[in-house]
Amino acid sequence: MDMLAIANLQKRFGDKSVLKGLDLSVPEHSVFGFIGKNGAGKTTTMKTILGLLKADGGEILVSGEKVVYGQTATNRHIGYLPDVPEFYPFMTAPEYLSFCGEITGMSRIEIKSRSNELLKLVGLGNEKHRIKGFSRGMKQRLGIAQALLNRPKLLICDEPTSALDPVGRKEILDILMAVREQTTVLFSTHILSDVERICTDVAFLNDGVVNIQGKLSDIKSQYRTEEYVLETGNEEELKLLMNVFAGLKKSGMNTASFRENDHTLFDILRFVTDNRIRLLKIERVEPTLETLFMEVVEK
Amino acid sequence: MKSLLAFMKKEWMEQVRSGRLLILVIIFILLGIMNPAVAKLTPWLLEMMADSLEASGMTVTAVTVSALDSWVQFFKNAPMGLIAFILLESSIFTKEYQSGTLVLALTKGLDRHKVVISKAIILTLFWTVCYWFCFTITFGYNTYFWDNSIAQNLFFSVICWWLFGLLVVALTVLFSTLSNSNTGVLAGTGCTVLVSYLIGLIPKAKEYLPTLLMDGNSLIYGTVEARSYVTAIYITVLLSVVCLAISFPVFNKKYL
Ligand SMILES: Nc1ncnc2c1ncn2[C@@H]1O[C@H](COP(=O)(O)OP(=O)(O)OP(=O)(O)O)[C@@H](O)[C@H]1O
Ligand SMILES: [Mg+2]
Repeated sequence: MDMLAIANLQKRFGDKSVLKGLDLSVPEHSVFGFIGKNGAGKTTTMKTILGLLKADGGEILVSGEKVVYGQTATNRHIGYLPDVPEFYPFMTAPEYLSFCGEITGMSRIEIKSRSNELLKLVGLGNEKHRIKGFSRGMKQRLGIAQALLNRPKLLICDEPTSALDPVGRKEILDILMAVREQTTVLFSTHILSDVERICTDVAFLNDGVVNIQGKLSDIKSQYRTEEYVLETGNEEELKLLMNVFAGLKKSGMNTASFRENDHTLFDILRFVTDNRIRLLKIERVEPTLETLFMEVVEK
Repeated sequence: MKSLLAFMKKEWMEQVRSGRLLILVIIFILLGIMNPAVAKLTPWLLEMMADSLEASGMTVTAVTVSALDSWVQFFKNAPMGLIAFILLESSIFTKEYQSGTLVLALTKGLDRHKVVISKAIILTLFWTVCYWFCFTITFGYNTYFWDNSIAQNLFFSVICWWLFGLLVVALTVLFSTLSNSNTGVLAGTGCTVLVSYLIGLIPKAKEYLPTLLMDGNSLIYGTVEARSYVTAIYITVLLSVVCLAISFPVFNKKYL
């Protein structure tokens, strides 16, 4: 069963239509990357899932239960990390976690052990100060800790790595990857390397709808381009090649790329051997999410 | 129930750590001391100024003050206490809207109505404690200096004023759910009280209005009977309940 299923979700702000019939299904135990450019509506979608925004149309099911605006019953399944998490500045991190734990009805012993464990996990184990003095990255870490506190079935993170340094980013990604055993993770981002690092599934949000979604590996093979790059020993050799093969596009001092349907790989290789051109490299280009993203956005 | 307590604990922590509770207590202690002090000092002040007053043609006869003068001060200063209270506490909801701190608590499954209940309880509790603290101090001094028994309907009159304060607290809660800004809360609450006061200038309407409850002087001097306040009391209590009752559905639909 899908942990989260969204059907035909619509949302307008005034006369501006942000979500125009968005469909999304997040399978259980996946790490789901939700990709879209600034202002695409990622945050809007997440807030609607949490019942913080009222949808203009469509339906959202969390673990099979319908989400109703204002009534937050489905939220007991969800751990949420907002894009800019805001905490009570007069509390310390452990105090905040115990506040959250009491709200969700955890037992005192459980709160204590779980918050110790989580604070250590996110690297705030020795932080005794009040949240007032926390940096953005520290707040992000505390945000992850509070989201994981009651072992949610679905973890929703809105750009969890945006405020973090490279080390912190890796740590947080590792955490998200590690919790996959127990929960399903949905996170939004525009850092595509993060997605490639940890996601099992992705969805691209563009112009109010999800254009592409599915297993990351499936999507990659589906969009595999027939593009190659080659690198020769020097510029003259490249020129020689380019004179014969008009479809070669120069992309560097002595590198060029071509598509399989312009020239076959074998023709080029034959020419290379016949003319004894020194070939430093020839490789097939793997589609990156970046090229995919560009394709989706430009369509 | 547990989540309600957790949220109230958070409110309490906030009031204590931000120093608001301390400021409130100090204000109400000062007011409590000021009431008898001003009454006590009046004859002395008049004596001091007697010479200059006589020079301008006024004759000063010896004034004797009683507990009544101190209670008159009490009812004069009570609005100041209430205004200070509302100024300090009017941001109890709006600060959370502006900083977005409620989002995480609500997405943790905290029922929205518990937010309203917690804050309403805290406000009611604080108003009650501060007000009666102030009263007790004045009462204590009055007993020491004079005799409280000459004030008629004393307890009834201070209870009336306390009830009026409760209505203002309820209005604050209601306008806090309607408005997103501190100014909106203050304006809404202030205007409602002002409207009640203005309508009260019409003699026939007076006995139905909550602002009548602020007139403690008439009660302690015995110029009116306690019975004539009963209608206003019912209306005040009813209005307070209605205000709170409206706050819940409004807050449930609020965009945070
Ligand atoms: N409360 C609001 N009132 C009016 N318009 C809004 C509101 N919230 C969002 N929008 C609009 O909806 C669109 C989507 O915003 P959203 O925050 O969901 O984008 P996003 O995908 O999260 O972007 P980012 O990557 O910058 O976080 C934006 O164009 C924004 O202007
Ligand atoms: Mg966003």
